[in-house]
Amino acid sequence: MTQSKSRREVLLGAAALAGAASLPRPVSAQPKGRIVVGTWGGDYARLLNKNIEAPLLIKDGWEVVQDQAGDPERRSKMLAEKRLPRGTSDVQGLSALNMYQMEDAGTVLPIDYGKLKNAGNLLPTMKYPYGVGHIYSGKVGIYNPKVITTAPVSYKDVFDPRHGNKLGIIDIQYQYTLVCAALAAGGKVNDIEPGKKLLLECKNAGMRIYPTNEAFAQGLKSEEFGVGVMWKARVVQWQNAGIPVTAVAPAEGALAYVSGFVIPKNSPNKDGAYAYLDAMLDKSAQEAFAVDMGYNPTVTNAVVAPDLNQRIGFTPDEVKKLVDLDYDHMNKNDVPFKEWWDKVLKS
Amino acid sequence: MAKQPMAATAPAQFHSDERPTSLLSATTLVGPATVFVAAGLLVPLAILFRYSFNSFEPRRMMVETFTLDNYVKFFADPYYTGVLWTTLRVAALCTVTCVIMGLPLAYVLARTQSRFKNVLIMLVVLPLFVGNAVRAAGWMTLFGSKGFLNVTLMQFGVITEPLQIMYTESAVVAGIIAVNLPYMVLTLQSVIEGINRNVEEAAFSLGAGPITMFRRVLLPLSLPGILAGTILTFILGMNAYATPVLLGGPKFKMMGPLVYGQFQLNNWPFGASVAFVLMAATLGLTATANILVQRRFRR
Repeated sequence: MTQSKSRREVLLGAAALAGAASLPRPVSAQPKGRIVVGTWGGDYARLLNKNIEAPLLIKDGWEVVQDQAGDPERRSKMLAEKRLPRGTSDVQGLSALNMYQMEDAGTVLPIDYGKLKNAGNLLPTMKYPYGVGHIYSGKVGIYNPKVITTAPVSYKDVFDPRHGNKLGIIDIQYQYTLVCAALAAGGKVNDIEPGKKLLLECKNAGMRIYPTNEAFAQGLKSEEFGVGVMWKARVVQWQNAGIPVTAVAPAEGALAYVSGFVIPKNSPNKDGAYAYLDAMLDKSAQEAFAVDMGYNPTVTNAVVAPDLNQRIGFTPDEVKKLVDLDYDHMNKNDVPFKEWWDKVLKS
Repeated sequence: MAKQPMAATAPAQFHSDERPTSLLSATTLVGPATVFVAAGLLVPLAILFRYSFNSFEPRRMMVETFTLDNYVKFFADPYYTGVLWTTLRVAALCTVTCVIMGLPLAYVLARTQSRFKNVLIMLVVLPLFVGNAVRAAGWMTLFGSKGFLNVTLMQFGVITEPLQIMYTESAVVAGIIAVNLPYMVLTLQSVIEGINRNVEEAAFSLGAGPITMFRRVLLPLSLPGILAGTILTFILGMNAYATPVLLGGPKFKMMGPLVYGQFQLNNWPFGASVAFVLMAATLGLTATANILVQRRFRR
């Protein structure tokens, strides 16, 4: 059985449809494309998503995919893909040394800072021609006051053979440890030999070598050793975890650690890559990373609470004294340094 | 409609005495696996072998050339040959220990009439349910200076200072044996199960003691299983990675971590040559052992 509709009913229905159409609807951004981000896994990847990708990119219609792996694997992938017209990633997170290395190998795009609206706020030292600094920290002296009663004030105090087996170093941080020891022994970032001599003296006195940062933290916690060097940001994380450790900015100037992003030359989505770099420099993202990870912002407009800044940051004098690696020297000598480390120091 | 003979109406696939159709020929059946192995293993191996003759230059990473320098560097440097010897020693020690520990266990498993036999086999396989890294992490909690072993020994007054077990060769050997033992036991168990119990009883009835029976009957008959298990555990021992890294610590080096370390330094040519030295040593030793044991077995 069918019922015919009166003209009034039809008009009422049409009005209801028009009214429903005019109701506010959830905003869905136009899809802008996919950004593939090469990054370390763990906390860093999680925080990239929490502080950059979800609030600043995905919301605007970008699809962000993380390619998580250690940096050696990702650098190998970049080298292997070098000849391909289209690579598989749009941005790659690397340390400043590795960014230089990849640039030297001809795999990364020069950064056009004109495409980054947040570039004006970027610290000049974080503006690499081939990459953008995301966060930074410094290699500070650390000690457990229960084990080491006299606080070290310099790398020289840390790398003192008199500490015997109360001095600990980390195997995977051979590059930075060599340079810290060189600075302690009166050498320079491109004059490592005095550092090698000093490390051998410390080794003969009983210095402990731990395989990873985590094993180092365990040793510190169990009081197997009591003095060493570490990134200030990591020290904050350990303090939060209840490990009794105090950080001191070394008198020689803390060795800077910068983590940033590069754009591979064959990035399939270069616009997306620039959008990612710009979002990474956003004030809110930079402030969130300082709170969540203990690293310092690389932009001048980020505001860090004074109490947090006291724990993670450096005084203006300490910032002036920050020491950067000689990337070219390290890059050229990385293999000989590692061979010396394995064959001589660890033998 | 005339009735057709049965053979004429039966579908073609029921003609069991016919030659296999082209779709089911041996070549077709073997083909996909062969292509998969060739593409997934042999091609990358061939590329890596070629890389091992290239040279390394820090700025350009890998320079196309043909040189034996990487192999010369390995064999001329006592550090690298030392790593190879350490690897051979650890793999051999683990293999011998696995045979000694695995044979009695496999014998019991093979001969037991218990209704819990399957449960016992599952217990042997249980360590393989977790990855090498997770298993090594377990060993770390056991071996650490404040680990279960040291704390227990100190509480009972056996020791006053914690023993240094972590970051030693002993820790690595213990860790690898734990990984490899199930492979040895399962291989031996399946072979011993195939040996007729009557031959053992015949030996006993002819006056042989348990040791003589083992030496003259069980051992020769289970030799194929021992050989297979030995090859399997030796290869796994030679190529161990997670256990040496996590339990051996920074000063202990085996070939697997050495290969990975070279690739971390972007020195692909030397990393490739170390990988092929490892592969050649493993293949050479297992092939030699195979030939020697088979000759002995034939006698």
